[in-house]
Amino acid sequence: MDIFLEALSTAMTPMAIASIGLGALIGLIFGSIPGLTFTVALALALPISFSMDAVPAIGLLLGTYIGGMTGGSVSAILLGIPGTPSAAATVLDGHPMTKQGNASIALGTAVITSVFGGIFSLVVMIVSVDLVSRVAISFGPAEIFALVLFGLSTICGLCGGSLIKGLISGALGLMIMTIGIDTIDGVQRMTFGSVNMLQGVNLLVAMIGLFAVPFIIEAFAVKSSTPEKSQRISRVKAELPSLRMLSKNLWLMIKCSVMGTGIGAIPGTGGAIASFLAYDHAKRFSKKPESFGKGNVEGVVAPETANNAVTGGTLIPLLSLGIPGDPATAIVLAGLMIHGITPGPALFMNHAGEVYSMYVSVVLAYLWVLGLQLMGIRLFVHVLKIPRELLAVGVLVLCAIGAYSIRNSVFDIYAMGAIGVMAYGLVSFRVPITPIILGMVLGPTLENEFRTAMMLSAGDPAIFYTSPTALIFFTLALLVIGLQALSELKARKPIKKEVEVSDA
Amino acid sequence: MTSSARDLALSVSLLAFAVIWTWLVIDTIRPGLGHGDIGPRAFPMVLGIILGGLSVLLFVRTLVLRRDETTAAGTGDVDAMDEDSTSRWGAMVLVAIEISAYGFLLQKIGFLIATPILILFVLVIHLRLRSWKTILGMTLGMTLGCWLFFEKLLGIYLANGSWFNIG
Repeated sequence: MDIFLEALSTAMTPMAIASIGLGALIGLIFGSIPGLTFTVALALALPISFSMDAVPAIGLLLGTYIGGMTGGSVSAILLGIPGTPSAAATVLDGHPMTKQGNASIALGTAVITSVFGGIFSLVVMIVSVDLVSRVAISFGPAEIFALVLFGLSTICGLCGGSLIKGLISGALGLMIMTIGIDTIDGVQRMTFGSVNMLQGVNLLVAMIGLFAVPFIIEAFAVKSSTPEKSQRISRVKAELPSLRMLSKNLWLMIKCSVMGTGIGAIPGTGGAIASFLAYDHAKRFSKKPESFGKGNVEGVVAPETANNAVTGGTLIPLLSLGIPGDPATAIVLAGLMIHGITPGPALFMNHAGEVYSMYVSVVLAYLWVLGLQLMGIRLFVHVLKIPRELLAVGVLVLCAIGAYSIRNSVFDIYAMGAIGVMAYGLVSFRVPITPIILGMVLGPTLENEFRTAMMLSAGDPAIFYTSPTALIFFTLALLVIGLQALSELKARKPIKKEVEVSDA
Repeated sequence: MTSSARDLALSVSLLAFAVIWTWLVIDTIRPGLGHGDIGPRAFPMVLGIILGGLSVLLFVRTLVLRRDETTAAGTGDVDAMDEDSTSRWGAMVLVAIEISAYGFLLQKIGFLIATPILILFVLVIHLRLRSWKTILGMTLGMTLGCWLFFEKLLGIYLANGSWFNIG
């Protein structure tokens, strides 16, 4: 209890509250602008957090994450363009509501249900993280290696349409992280004699390059134009839904929260899957399924509750096992590690206070989101009117500031540019870039734990297959990869059939 | 470019990269000492080999898919993104130049002079913007806004020039 009270006082300092609010504002703005996702916001917020203490810094990142997840609904409802993939399902009924003149109530409903989903998942997270950590505390190097390998297998869920390309992307991420001084033997690897390369490729520089630079290039290449839509939304505000409407949809909100939290806890899934499943569920069990897609408020309630419930769900494997489930939580993980907090089984033993502060920060972030959305919706509407290419100019300067401020080195700006251009090239070749981040985040642990395990067993690989826990994780990893390969083969079958028909 | 031609080009490029990477790793990093010492070479080498293997797999799969698609439809699918690929690649090259030039200028003349130069260049030359109100607002607003927020409010050090420095 003492630790909790101390954490509460740390999280309630003016600096911490302001950082969470700043994060929520940045997240809401970035999340509400199509193409400028909250992952970019997180990558840019990370360098700002350097100069802060651990709790305000984490609060800033969590605020950005939560604000971004909620902000996606603004453009989805007003413009019919989801600000984030998680808000894609909200477009289906949210935008028709705008066309019917019910934009204000759609926005208000989205905010309230988002907060409900988020707080619900937080409660589940608080219970689960400690339980999972207690189980995981007995893990040795072999088990951790197997666990990280399982974490890497979630690349399959992030690989888009092609498993091979996803694996290639993951391998590239792992390769990038081997550059620099080897942490076990102190040997230089692929540094080519450059002093700048001794520390390897900085994770933050890579994240800014991978997520923000492709956005800048795309915004400069394809200029935006949405003036007629801006006219329609210029007088909008967020209006709170009635208690009657909320109580009518309470059971739906609870079901979607459970769904979102569960899906979020599975690494490699994310808000988009949760929101579409929740939308489908709401439509299937609705009394008026035919009204879905035509402005049914349940079509806003279900996806918005579910995608925000994902936030708590994704933090369960992140905090208890150190496995990020999506690119956004990978950046949160990097932020935690920068401030000396290493998520994983020993988190509660070493940093119980910071973990409790995180719980308080999540609640505060949702309160900020609620206040900002209800009071400041007109600001976001104005932001939506700014052409994307002008926003990209601002992002370009912020990226350079972010990369430079990490080590006060211009080399990092060049590295960011090079990685960003490489990422854009890969995207052009339809190679997903999220697995690169997963490889970069988990790569060093994977290598170190494998080498430590082999040292402990004097080179005997039996250490891996005699541990039941390790075997479970290896099996799960194989299962995930196998299922993805199977689904790709199934997806290819229609082409085969077509060929046979043609031949006949 | 069809999607299969694009995948073939990607797989060949990645295979070449994997071969060069693996060769460099073997040539420059020492192996382990045995008896459980895996050594610093093992992981990068294995990863190079895995990347090579995946590239070959992508190459073979693309060839098989191309054969199937050609039999089914007569042609490969033309990539929709290909239509404006020139502007995309052009933007990519320009952004690379802008980032490099900005890095160089930050080091030489500092944040407060380099930033308006970059913003002016991007707005006027790259985006061909002609509204002087927007150009001036963006240039001065971004430079002073970032300087006040990062340097003065958050205490984050922004680059000072080595040629000359105005703060």
